Amino acid sequence: MALLQIAEPGQSPQPHQRRLAVGIDLGTTNSLVAALRSGITAPLADADGEVILPSAVRYHADRVEVGRAAKQAASSDPLNTILSVKRLMGRGVGDVMQLGGQLPYRFSEGESQMPFIETVQGAKSPVEISAEILRALRERAEAALGGELVGAVITVPAYFDDAQRQATKDAARLANLNVLRLLNEPTAAAVAYGLDRQAEGVVAIYDLGGGTFDISILRLTKGVFEVLATGGDTALGGDDFDHAIASWILTQACASSDLAPGAQREVLKLACDAKERLTAEESVELKYADWQGVLTRTIFHELIDPLIARSLKSCRRALRDSAVELEDVHAVVMVGGSTRVPRVRERVGEMFGRQPLTDIDPDEVVAIGAAIQAETLAGNNRDGEELLLLDVIPLSLGLETMGGLMEKIIPRNTTIPVARAQEFTTYKDGQSAMMIHVLQGERELIADCRSLARFELRGIPPMVAGAAKIRVTFQVDADGLLSVSARELASGVESSIQVKPSYGLTDGEIARMLEDSFRKAGEDKVARALREQLVDAQRLLEAVETALAADGERLLSQEERGAIMLQMQALRDLLDSQDGLVIERQIKRLSQITDAFAARRLDSTVKAALAGRQLNDIEE
Amino acid sequence: MGIPCHYALFELQPAFDLDLDMLSSRYRELARKVHPDRFADGSELEQRRAVEESANLNEAYQTLKSPSRRARYLLALQGQDMPLEATVQDPEFLLQQMQWREELEELQDEADVAGVMTFKARLKAALQDINEAFSRTWQDPAHREEAERLVRRMQFLDKLSQEVRLLEERLDD
Repeated sequence: MALLQIAEPGQSPQPHQRRLAVGIDLGTTNSLVAALRSGITAPLADADGEVILPSAVRYHADRVEVGRAAKQAASSDPLNTILSVKRLMGRGVGDVMQLGGQLPYRFSEGESQMPFIETVQGAKSPVEISAEILRALRERAEAALGGELVGAVITVPAYFDDAQRQATKDAARLANLNVLRLLNEPTAAAVAYGLDRQAEGVVAIYDLGGGTFDISILRLTKGVFEVLATGGDTALGGDDFDHAIASWILTQACASSDLAPGAQREVLKLACDAKERLTAEESVELKYADWQGVLTRTIFHELIDPLIARSLKSCRRALRDSAVELEDVHAVVMVGGSTRVPRVRERVGEMFGRQPLTDIDPDEVVAIGAAIQAETLAGNNRDGEELLLLDVIPLSLGLETMGGLMEKIIPRNTTIPVARAQEFTTYKDGQSAMMIHVLQGERELIADCRSLARFELRGIPPMVAGAAKIRVTFQVDADGLLSVSARELASGVESSIQVKPSYGLTDGEIARMLEDSFRKAGEDKVARALREQLVDAQRLLEAVETALAADGERLLSQEERGAIMLQMQALRDLLDSQDGLVIERQIKRLSQITDAFAARRLDSTVKAALAGRQLNDIEE
Repeated sequence: MGIPCHYALFELQPAFDLDLDMLSSRYRELARKVHPDRFADGSELEQRRAVEESANLNEAYQTLKSPSRRARYLLALQGQDMPLEATVQDPEFLLQQMQWREELEELQDEADVAGVMTFKARLKAALQDINEAFSRTWQDPAHREEAERLVRRMQFLDKLSQEVRLLEERLDD
């Protein structure tokens, strides 16, 4: 590729020596990947120019399909097409049964308590299914940016517990994606919003997505984003609006709500369309089986008001937690596709006594904020005042104590990173071991909290009851992930774990999935080689074109020009061939045929530079 | 002591009356320097140290921000931790405590939202008085007993405010 060597001064042939990092919004309904390119942080589009990737995964016998095509197959192939998998992340079989009738899948249990979904490719865990979405986004980003990523910032709902966060991190690992940071979605939105407006003061981020709701109250001060309180509901979102409409339709149509999976998907789709149309229209006509009817806005509002009220209750709680008065909130920012519903905007506006801000695209703002943070973490903007995010844990962390009670060690809304220790003692004479049961939640009874992990401290020297001193230390890192260690102070016996959530994957399961992903990595490698060839080909084509335009007439005969054009066209024709090897061969051919041209250009440049200069000038 | 004094960390003199705005602005400055985000491409050791230092900083900030925790910390700085169990009797305040609890129960029974607001305002005023009294006494070792009594009163009020918060949440249903 000789032509590339004569780039103009100041124009290096490879302008991007930045470390490539992206922000990923891994949503319930839709996912996006964003990155900084040419000074602008924006979502990256796929080959068809679409930035939104529906979070849908369809398993075929021999391949996996992700995105729009998969989503369209939801009704026709309901068992192998998984939608809204985020709702299952970090959840146990029991939790899933609670969601119960809403989900048209066949579940099975693995070694862990995690629910697996039976597909044509076998049992798949929610983590693996999410990994497929992440893999698709990673490939899109690498194709768009033309290189391998150093890592990604992946957003999670602020109200995700430790198990849900851990599951997200596991999914990234399976997708061969380095996680720079798990970032809370509303915090990401605040970054995008705050940097855009140069905003200062207290801001509320109301984030209603497809399946989760978050509210965060932040204070913005000179590039520092300090989360004061966060709250929400990981099982509340626009999907619930759809379910409310769907069951209304079924009631009106006097149909049974016990539907086959395909029919269930169909009525949900009908409901979702109706919801979207009601944004602009006062009423919509609906047809289901042989029933026909009209859904008015008034009825729609009656259906969803209880759901919106739940979100507003979380808002009031977060405000109380943040010790901020309602009138001190400077701005309310709407995030998430479900905030497009006018009724949501109306009710939120009423509560905060101000018009909520809706001008930043609610679908894109989270991914953009994550990409901004990814740039910082990849070390690309180390000059001057960079932004700093001070986030909090959403739910209290604690231990089980006597009588099945939860003793809080770190209360919710504590700024992370945080480390805190508490001392416990033995309750029996000669007790030599102690069970440490780690919990997360706000309730007093352990049965109402989420069990994160259990481990045992053994080898406590025999002492009378109450004499041993066991110090348990909780540490939460900047991703919001917990590790716990326990130490008997007299003997120094120590035990610690990186908390492995009870609803996480077992080591065996992770090993199997990693093996699978290594096999996939082979395919990934081929795909990457192809992308690199495509980037090279495009660069070469551009360079030759520029050179031809500048010096083609002057330095080449007509035949020579014709021969070069022919090889260029041949390369262009191969761009869609998906065959890296053939493209590579054609690149070689084109660069060989342009070698002589390159030499002549170089020669003429040197001559031009030397023209009219004295020999002794040159010798200097 | 391996861990530097919380006050020294913020370049402040040990005192009960603090300029909280200044405290939080110093906190933000320091957080910028030690936060793990600064060391995202650093070595594992650097990253671990950043997590530890940030955790320390956050703990110091939380301690100084809360009047009751700050008061308790000041007494500990004088060389002796306050005992966990009360050794100081406070019969006068005990009566007050019982009265407040009864009122809170009544508010709950009557689901009196407006009443909760005025109750909160009264607790705030009471806390203000206790804080002022502590500010006058804590430095004098001769009044240690009185200072400990005041810290316990603060802690009780913290707990009571927590219960008021829970009640507010229940009434919000």
